[in-house]
Amino acid sequence: MTEVNIENLTKIYGHAVKAVDGISMRIANGEFISLLGPSGCGKTTTLKMIAGFEEVTAGAIRFDGQDVAHTPAEKRDIGMVFQNYALFPHMTVAQNLAFGLEMRKIAKPEMQGRIAKVLEMVQLTGYDGRYPNQLSGGQQQRVALARALVIEPRILLLDEPLANLDAKLREEMRVFIRELQKRVGITTVYVTHDQSEAMSMSDRVVVMFGGRIAQIGAPDDIYDRPTSMEVAQFVGQVNVIRGQALEAAGAGRLHVSTVLGQVDVEASESFRPGTALTLTLRPEALTLAPGGGVGAQGQVIGRYYSGALIDYTVSLASGENLHVQTFPNIRFVEGDAVSVAAPAQAFWLMGPAQ
Amino acid sequence: MTATSRSSGKLLLIAPAAVLLGVFLVLPYLNIIVMSFRVPGQGTPYGEGFTLGNYARFFADPFYLQQVANTLGIGLLVTSLSLAIGFPVAWQLARGDMRFRGLAYGLVLSPLLVGIVIRSYGWTILLGNNGLINRSLNSLGVIEGPLPLMYNTLGIVIALVHVFLPFMILPVMAAIQSVDPSLEAAARSLGASRATAFRRIILPLCMPGIQAGCILVFVLSLSAYVTPSLIGGLRVKTMAVTVVDALIDTFQWPWGSALALMLAATGAICVLIFARLTRMTWKAPRP
Repeated sequence: MTEVNIENLTKIYGHAVKAVDGISMRIANGEFISLLGPSGCGKTTTLKMIAGFEEVTAGAIRFDGQDVAHTPAEKRDIGMVFQNYALFPHMTVAQNLAFGLEMRKIAKPEMQGRIAKVLEMVQLTGYDGRYPNQLSGGQQQRVALARALVIEPRILLLDEPLANLDAKLREEMRVFIRELQKRVGITTVYVTHDQSEAMSMSDRVVVMFGGRIAQIGAPDDIYDRPTSMEVAQFVGQVNVIRGQALEAAGAGRLHVSTVLGQVDVEASESFRPGTALTLTLRPEALTLAPGGGVGAQGQVIGRYYSGALIDYTVSLASGENLHVQTFPNIRFVEGDAVSVAAPAQAFWLMGPAQ
Repeated sequence: MTATSRSSGKLLLIAPAAVLLGVFLVLPYLNIIVMSFRVPGQGTPYGEGFTLGNYARFFADPFYLQQVANTLGIGLLVTSLSLAIGFPVAWQLARGDMRFRGLAYGLVLSPLLVGIVIRSYGWTILLGNNGLINRSLNSLGVIEGPLPLMYNTLGIVIALVHVFLPFMILPVMAAIQSVDPSLEAAARSLGASRATAFRRIILPLCMPGIQAGCILVFVLSLSAYVTPSLIGGLRVKTMAVTVVDALIDTFQWPWGSALALMLAATGAICVLIFARLTRMTWKAPRP
């Protein structure tokens, strides 16, 4: 069980390409943390530096206080799951699992016990003798997970492990990995570009752009209280509306006038009345009612049905377009007059308008 | 499409190759086998009737057995040197810096672009007593009198390694390319050093390419004629040179055929033993 501290970690390729630009974070013992960002944001490079596959240009990586930034990968005692699983094709499942134990000079009887235990954990008991190419993608994924866990590493690193699975299996594996991680209680770093994966699995999410950390926080923090427009847009759909500051509404709150009416929102700084502001609204926080009801009036101009939800595009009388996501119990068609409303807590004040 | 018409279609596709092999390989081989049992002729290539005498002569004379041993020795030496020199090159070509890969690939293939006779003559210019290497070393005062680089096994081995290196590098390179680099990372994450990861993971997975390269170079070395005859001269003779002597210079067709077959047989036995020894320890069954 290990606490990981990353301090000013930097990776520069060649002379000037900063893949990772001085990031710091503390990962608590047993915590599941996701590095989330678009490709090229430095998340995989960060993971590789933690694993020891990429040399560190500057900064420290501490496992329980001990700096491992320049320790070779094989001495770091990590378990890693690769995007393509990286199972040894010439070895059976049991031999794949035994490899790390052999490197640790574990005695045969204990080895067999641990392999049996971990196979049961990933629900692959009886698959010992299979070769990787005799397994389905999901099974290979679970063998890769078992191989990383059987050595009882200090930390578990996963590099986009679900990227090669089909959508349904991916959902199942999210739950599976998270449950397993909780049961084992291992400190875990998970790299993904899929925001819903990061949200649903992690204790905390680290959003990265251009080699820097944009925001660290619990999934709902990131989703509901993004610190920048980039983060807000990366972790989900978002409506951006303009507002105008009115007077303060008590400590840390502000009255704002918007196209959806006057609301009072959380405000970390104070704004002079009259300041133009940018606010965000998640599409699923908005509600639709037949025209003439409470809220802003508008017309449905787009409708996308996806089974569980319907996405509407509503053109407001004031000229702005809003995305609204509703359950399919209330249905409108294109051209319908609707009224759009949102509860006060759905508004998030991003800052002064640019 | 019915099964029969599909299989006849396949037969049609392999027909040109089958005809070519049959007419130009199998028939000549049969002819050589028959020839090797013929009676040596007086003034003619061969005489009337059949005999086992050619083979008896071969096994009775330690000179020829020794020559087979020498030829095998050269083959083994050339093969192991080619592997030792070629593997790092193949690795670099498969995994190395992209920038120089095209150039390096060209350099590896370049020996194949020049005819074998020219290349071997080139080596005689370099290796001879009055050759470039000896002259340079002499004028630098490093040596007194020429180093024996030609007309011996050393010279033949040097030249053959140069000639056959591409046949080692290309299959080994293809094998290395087919090994996913993340397997090495996986092995290291599990606690294996670079050396252990190489030995336990990379090497076994490259084995098919290494096997192919070794068999190619070994067989080519055994049957090489031009290079050994130019560089070995009259002093060191390999089996291939002796066979050509018998067939062309002294017109002993039955005797030459028997020698040629013994060379082919020993080569085949060596390849079989090698394939057995290095047989892949894994046979991942198809799913």
